[in-house]
Amino acid sequence: MSLTGLLTEIVLAFNLSVLYYFALLNAVYLLLLAVSISEILRFVRRTFFSDYDQILKSEMTWPITIVVPAHNEARSIVETVRSLLGVNYPEFEVIVVNDGSTDDTLGRLVEAFGLRRTDRIYRRTLPTEEVRGLYGSLEIPNLVVVDKVWGGKADALNAGVNGSRYPLFCSVDADSIIEETALLRVVKPFMDRPQEMVAVGGIVRIVNGCEVQDGRVVRIGLPRRALPVLQVVEYLRSFLSGRSGWSGLRSLLIISGAFGLYRKAEVIAVGGYDRWSATEDLELILKMHEHLRRTRRPYRIVFVPDPVCWTEAPATLRVLGRQRNRWHRGLLQSLWRHRTMIFNPRYGAIGLFALPYFAFFETLGPFVETLGYVIIPIAWWLGVLNTDFFLLFLVFSIFFGVFLSVASVLLEEISFRRYPGWEHLATLVLAAVVENFGYRQVLGLFKVKAFFDFLRRRHAWGRMDREGFRAPDPVPGHGSAL
Amino acid sequence: MRVIVLQLIVGTAGVLLFLIAVIIVNKAMREAGESTDRRRQIEFGPAVAVYLGSADSRSILSYLPRRVGRRDRRIVEALLVEAASAEGSASIAAPAGASLVSAGTQARAAAAFEALGSVDRALQDLDSRRWWKRAEAAERLGLMRCPRAADRLVLLMGDEVGEVRMRAAAALGLMRSSTSIRPLVAALSDPSRWSAIRVAEILVRAGQEAVDELLPAWDNLPRHARLSALDVLARLRTPRAQDLMRRCLSDPSADIRARAAHGLGQIGDTGSAGGLQEALADAAWPVRAMAAKALGRIGLPAVVPALCRALEDREWWVRANAGEALRRLGDAGREALVGMLDAADPYARHQALAQLEESGVVDGWIADLASPDEGRRRAALRSIEKIIALGRTDHLAQRAASIADEGVRRVLAEALRR
Repeated sequence: MSLTGLLTEIVLAFNLSVLYYFALLNAVYLLLLAVSISEILRFVRRTFFSDYDQILKSEMTWPITIVVPAHNEARSIVETVRSLLGVNYPEFEVIVVNDGSTDDTLGRLVEAFGLRRTDRIYRRTLPTEEVRGLYGSLEIPNLVVVDKVWGGKADALNAGVNGSRYPLFCSVDADSIIEETALLRVVKPFMDRPQEMVAVGGIVRIVNGCEVQDGRVVRIGLPRRALPVLQVVEYLRSFLSGRSGWSGLRSLLIISGAFGLYRKAEVIAVGGYDRWSATEDLELILKMHEHLRRTRRPYRIVFVPDPVCWTEAPATLRVLGRQRNRWHRGLLQSLWRHRTMIFNPRYGAIGLFALPYFAFFETLGPFVETLGYVIIPIAWWLGVLNTDFFLLFLVFSIFFGVFLSVASVLLEEISFRRYPGWEHLATLVLAAVVENFGYRQVLGLFKVKAFFDFLRRRHAWGRMDREGFRAPDPVPGHGSAL
Repeated sequence: MRVIVLQLIVGTAGVLLFLIAVIIVNKAMREAGESTDRRRQIEFGPAVAVYLGSADSRSILSYLPRRVGRRDRRIVEALLVEAASAEGSASIAAPAGASLVSAGTQARAAAAFEALGSVDRALQDLDSRRWWKRAEAAERLGLMRCPRAADRLVLLMGDEVGEVRMRAAAALGLMRSSTSIRPLVAALSDPSRWSAIRVAEILVRAGQEAVDELLPAWDNLPRHARLSALDVLARLRTPRAQDLMRRCLSDPSADIRARAAHGLGQIGDTGSAGGLQEALADAAWPVRAMAAKALGRIGLPAVVPALCRALEDREWWVRANAGEALRRLGDAGREALVGMLDAADPYARHQALAQLEESGVVDGWIADLASPDEGRRRAALRSIEKIIALGRTDHLAQRAASIADEGVRRVLAEALRR
């Protein structure tokens, strides 16, 4: 067989594998979408009868510690803390952990909230880097700042857990804003199933383009720049069609570090957050699944689509690349660390379905997809480009992606409707189509790079350049930016 | 093959277009419906308000500007429901002179509900296969205090859907009769904490009628329901529950003992101070912690020595609650906390200092360093030196660096150097 013939055989075999791969992947996506629709509709119906004000008034509601790890967050930390102090919840404390910031994060907090060093007692239940001091305020007794030597986000979260007084703690990113009723909504699963619930995640939405005043989102809008708009749709798909589905299948592996509520005792039981992990949130949830399944305790880790955390999305490709590189490396690290759980029936749906999905599709997916894009021109060059294959590839890789994104916009529209205007809807639908032509492929490339970085054991966190919650982009014309 | 592929492409594109059409039509229809509802509210709102504010025997139908259709009736029902619930009544657009929040508002809303045939429809909906319809119907019947729904609502307390049970419970709570409260007491046994919270809230709102049912039912309640019952009795601050709670301080269950201690504090039962002081020696730390908290709430200076001992407890929560309790006791408690700076137990010393710092006493001493009264200055310096001897100098060091008065800054810095 000639070299060209061999190459042709390889290309054809690859083509076929790619088609099967995408068909299987899309079947999983469809399953997740179907479960998500059912879960969200049920949730919305129940929300109507939820009586959150009773959680607010009741003395039996569990108090919550909000832990905010902050490293060089001077631009937005004051607004974040203000928003947190204003949440509607009967009893809570806010612990900001200043994780070795080299900017004026601590100074801004001290100045804005009249903080002073206190000799409050700090219990070192989880090991962390040295705590330099604790700050409190006479005027705001439920605000504490832990100032510590830099140890990374996981270390800062562990310090916050150590400092917390209450049985539940909520992790919130310093560049994020949680809605006034978010705690009431995220605690509800704990009230419904107090014995079983160990962690609950809320939805993360993108704050770029929204108007923020005094730490509150006062007007919801879409960003003017294309990249954050595409991320809005991506987040809708990821949370409404993805996590709702995983949660419905009782296989949720990720609770976003930006906003999650945990039972403190369970987190301490697994040793808290891991410093070595690039995605400490994923790693924590996997450790909890492993521990709780091994000890055969009934438990639940769920996603609720209603409590909203607004977060700043990267506005440039460079920063987005760093963020996604870290996320993907973190996923690979955790999958490798917990590889014995994969296909292990002892871990139920997690071991037999969720982890194999992440190992097979999330790890290999970017390679298959990227290779697919490379192989098509090669096949054309070799003269073996099968038009049927090309069209099928297009249907499975692109059209189906558009379908899922548009379906997520529909899910948002029939459930929460956070983006009220017709212009918002038009932009979101347009973005749902556009993101599959370029954006998704770029994300795939970021993941491929992350894979090699993982192999080379590169552990950089990746600096996140933020603009802070400054005045929003003006609304008119935001759709045309696409 | 080519045909299949093309059909697949056309099919996918068709599904996409269909999805987009669904999004647009859904939004358009919803907005149109909302706009129509708003118009109807503007049309019927004033008439409903006038009806509710009147005292004649005419039916609501004669007040409405026109004959009502199905959708109109829904709007009128919503306005009546809003008026019948205390929170909602103020939001109806009221014409001048019409008093909406009168004692008769609820009765008139209920009469209107009957006249519109809404009660019969709600009773039918109690049998609906859709749980949210059952829940909504139960809620409406409760708000209208409809007596002929009571038996059906009691039956609904056994519904398979928790939300329906809770709406039925809320409806029965609003009716406030012994037949309606009794099933609520039984519903405290629901294993869901959330359900227990909601039932407890309903019982708290029912007031003394709830106490009448809870006390005789106590012996037959399971343990977790007793916890909720104690919570209700404590929140009602009823002295009738004092004996029960005092007995509960020696219950075999630590949770019950802790909740009883908490309840006695909420009621402010001075007669239970002795029992609570004994509870400070309980084997279970949550009981000790709650007893310390309760003693702080009761506020008898005689308990200061017991709280000082609790400040040396091996458990952090007990020490923290004892410290806070001493703070609540005013001068006697503060003096005790100052005295505890000399305690042998380092944890007690640190807790006392933390409380003194949080209550501003330490800042008061720092301010006294600038006092013209020398005795005061010396006393303040002695207290500050005690803190320095404890090694907890973060707060002092910061004040030494930031305080405006140069003299005080110097004295503090010197004391810290020593």
